[in-house]
Amino acid sequence: MRYYARKLGFYLVALWAAVTLNFFIPRLMPGNPVDILMAKLQQRGGTVDPSVRRSYELLLGADSGDSLAQQYVSYLGNMLHGDFGVSVSSYPAKVSDVIGQSLPWTIALIGMATLISFVLGLALGTWVGWKRGSWLDSLIPGTTVLAAVPYFWLALILAALLSSTLHWFPLLGGYDVSLSMGWNRPFISSAVQHGILPALTIVISSVGGWLLGMRNMMVSTAAEDYILTARAKGLRPSRIMIRYAARNAALPSVAGFATSLGFVVSGSVMTEQVFSYPGIGSRLLQAVENNDYALMQGIFLVITVAVLGANLLVDLLYGLIDPRTRANN
Amino acid sequence: MSRIRSESRRVSLAGAVALGLLLTGCGAGDGAGGGGSDTLIAYTGQSGDYQINFNPYSPTVIDGPGTIFEPLFFYNVARKDKPEPRLGTAFSWNKQGTELSVTLRPDAKWSDGQKFTADDVVFTLDMIRKNPAMNSTGYSGTAKAVDATHVKITFDKPSFSDGPQILGRSWIVPKHIWSQIAKPSEDVMKNPVGTGPFKLADFKPQAFTLEANPGYYGGAPALKKIRFVALSGNQSGADALKAGQIDWQTGPVPDIENVSKNYPGYQAITVPMNQTALFTCSDAALGCTGPQTDPAVRRAIYYAMDRTQLNALAFENTSSEISPGFALPERDKALVSARLTDRLAPMQPQLAKADGLLRAAGYTKGSDGVYARNGTKLALTVKVVSGWTDYITAVSTLAEQLKKAGIKLTVQQVSWNEWSDARGRGQYQLLIDAVSQGPAPDPYYPYSYFFSSRTTAPVGQTANPNFARFRNARVDAALDALKAIDPQNTAARQPYYDTIQTEIEKSMPYIPILTGGTTSEFNARKFTGWPTEDDLYAFPAVWGRPDNSQVFLHLKPAK
Repeated sequence: MRYYARKLGFYLVALWAAVTLNFFIPRLMPGNPVDILMAKLQQRGGTVDPSVRRSYELLLGADSGDSLAQQYVSYLGNMLHGDFGVSVSSYPAKVSDVIGQSLPWTIALIGMATLISFVLGLALGTWVGWKRGSWLDSLIPGTTVLAAVPYFWLALILAALLSSTLHWFPLLGGYDVSLSMGWNRPFISSAVQHGILPALTIVISSVGGWLLGMRNMMVSTAAEDYILTARAKGLRPSRIMIRYAARNAALPSVAGFATSLGFVVSGSVMTEQVFSYPGIGSRLLQAVENNDYALMQGIFLVITVAVLGANLLVDLLYGLIDPRTRANN
Repeated sequence: MSRIRSESRRVSLAGAVALGLLLTGCGAGDGAGGGGSDTLIAYTGQSGDYQINFNPYSPTVIDGPGTIFEPLFFYNVARKDKPEPRLGTAFSWNKQGTELSVTLRPDAKWSDGQKFTADDVVFTLDMIRKNPAMNSTGYSGTAKAVDATHVKITFDKPSFSDGPQILGRSWIVPKHIWSQIAKPSEDVMKNPVGTGPFKLADFKPQAFTLEANPGYYGGAPALKKIRFVALSGNQSGADALKAGQIDWQTGPVPDIENVSKNYPGYQAITVPMNQTALFTCSDAALGCTGPQTDPAVRRAIYYAMDRTQLNALAFENTSSEISPGFALPERDKALVSARLTDRLAPMQPQLAKADGLLRAAGYTKGSDGVYARNGTKLALTVKVVSGWTDYITAVSTLAEQLKKAGIKLTVQQVSWNEWSDARGRGQYQLLIDAVSQGPAPDPYYPYSYFFSSRTTAPVGQTANPNFARFRNARVDAALDALKAIDPQNTAARQPYYDTIQTEIEKSMPYIPILTGGTTSEFNARKFTGWPTEDDLYAFPAVWGRPDNSQVFLHLKPAK
């Protein structure tokens, strides 16, 4: 029990530290939301009358006159209530609404893509590792090159090839906007169709990492004595590969998978830019560009909680899966 | 105008990605656009999803001013037109400019069926005055309904120059709905009710649709539906244009000169509007430091520029000539002062003049070819937003050009946030930006924004928008005088315009580069009635409000 309590305590401290950094880092950025808004309006041919600035200052409450310490205390209090404040760049929408509108898209797209990439990488890695020395080994440099190619470039090439030229997939957006949103068949099939290409780019660029890790673990596991024993017992090769080798070889990858699940939320900035996909990534960009502290804090908090939560889950599960980690403590 | 230019022209690379991808043939969807042939698909440059907000008084409004909520009159900023009637039919000022009488149209209706009356106008104006957070026009008058179709607005002091804001940018809202709202500045108006030619049909974060208002007093517009789509920025805007998924966007595309060839069915129009200039932190007394606080240096830079080369290299020749008095050479032709030394800035460099100015100011050329005074080199830093590729090209080219004139210019790329902060606080030597126009086709507005000592502040405090820290008693006096003269009375106004322009030319707090063009691309095969250079009935920017509503009213689906 002490093992779990200590883990929980550690995560609470980490959460507090993250939340505190989350408060201070955005405030170190130059600029303030009102001036950014003014500069934007001016670019759009808007009137830059000084009274415009005054009215926006009043509207956005840019300068509340509170000291930093007061702001910090009220920030912590609000966080406890789940109140992230009002987004300046989508004024007067609440940060929680802005995030709530975008988050499902990101989780569905990037979450699915990460899961597919993980399962595919593990399966291929198992196979390639088991058949080491055969022609299958050439898969490794192939997928590693794809993983090394900058993601946005790969995504642009695929978009140009598969959407613009071959017209297999829609180019931009998350769904056909002329359909009505909801759980109806045309909308869902349109959303799935729009999601295939972005998901494909993520899978292609990340499957190599899983494959390489799994393959190498398979190779070293295959040299273990218990594999030899299993062979000597005359077990079927497929049974040895899956039940004996792969199960043990997958342990490090499972830990890696949990961490990457945490980064699902933040990993979507590039995908969303290339494919104009709705989601949290473009909101994060919007927040940073507009000095929208509240929205930035909200999104960073979601990311932090996702990363910490995923790690906590793995830590706890690991104790179950692999009793050695518990015993040493 | 967002200035991010397409950097990666796509290459189709077949072999490289031939991975035997598990692709079964999925049919192509209609993509970002969709919709029938009578739907106009507009892209305003929105990056990321829309957040619903149809409150015309909110800075984050996504549309509505002009389309759903109408002003009393439409002011065409692109051409010297008479204000066009919308909800108003006529207006007149008294001699002193303290009383504005407006006649309203009797036949307008709100889209919920209620009748539009003078009470709505009075309610709207009172609401603006009572809510400082909504009063972005600085309105301080008192409105009274004379009868159902007449409103009288009185002011304490002559207020001719406030006319275009009140008549052209105050969006009239229905009293019977808005009087029930506790905090009108914070409401997002999910179901906007207006008098305008369009109504909200449907909202989704990735797109929203406006449809023709059948009860519109001018008859339902020929354009039946407008869909505004959200994409991730200029690059995807250009892609969508290429794929024929959007019908109207404003912003540069590669190879602008050949739009009709590269995008079959599309046409482009470029309208000179905002004046690109090197903003200088000009006033040492307000805390500016650096060589640019000396007018001689600013004028030397002005003469050393090769504007023809800048236009070709940085702006795809979409810019045009600029007047050092900051009146627009085409639109304000009649107002450009005859007393200016240069009516238009020279398009070719005049190095002899630059040299003469610097020598007279006590500079001597060093062995490295750079001027110096009292041991200090004539070296300046110019700030530019990273990612604004046309401006970056412009200042990099300028650095080469100024080297020939013995001036060292260092380009510093900074983030958008840092740049706008430095600009507001005056913590820069030079930066590249544009002087923008006001609510009416009159240079009075840019003068009063950018050149008045009332809109500036010492370095360290935020100035808005006189970022150059320019202070000149004569200009201030001329601006005050102009405020009290009827805009119709051009003969009486001209001497003051002359004063302002000559003073600006002498001091050059904003070193004129070129008049920047705003380029829009539109689908001329699907719709007719677009503004042209010969008939510029509205400023043709899709993000211009209420300008875009005027264009929507003129469009007809092509048969």
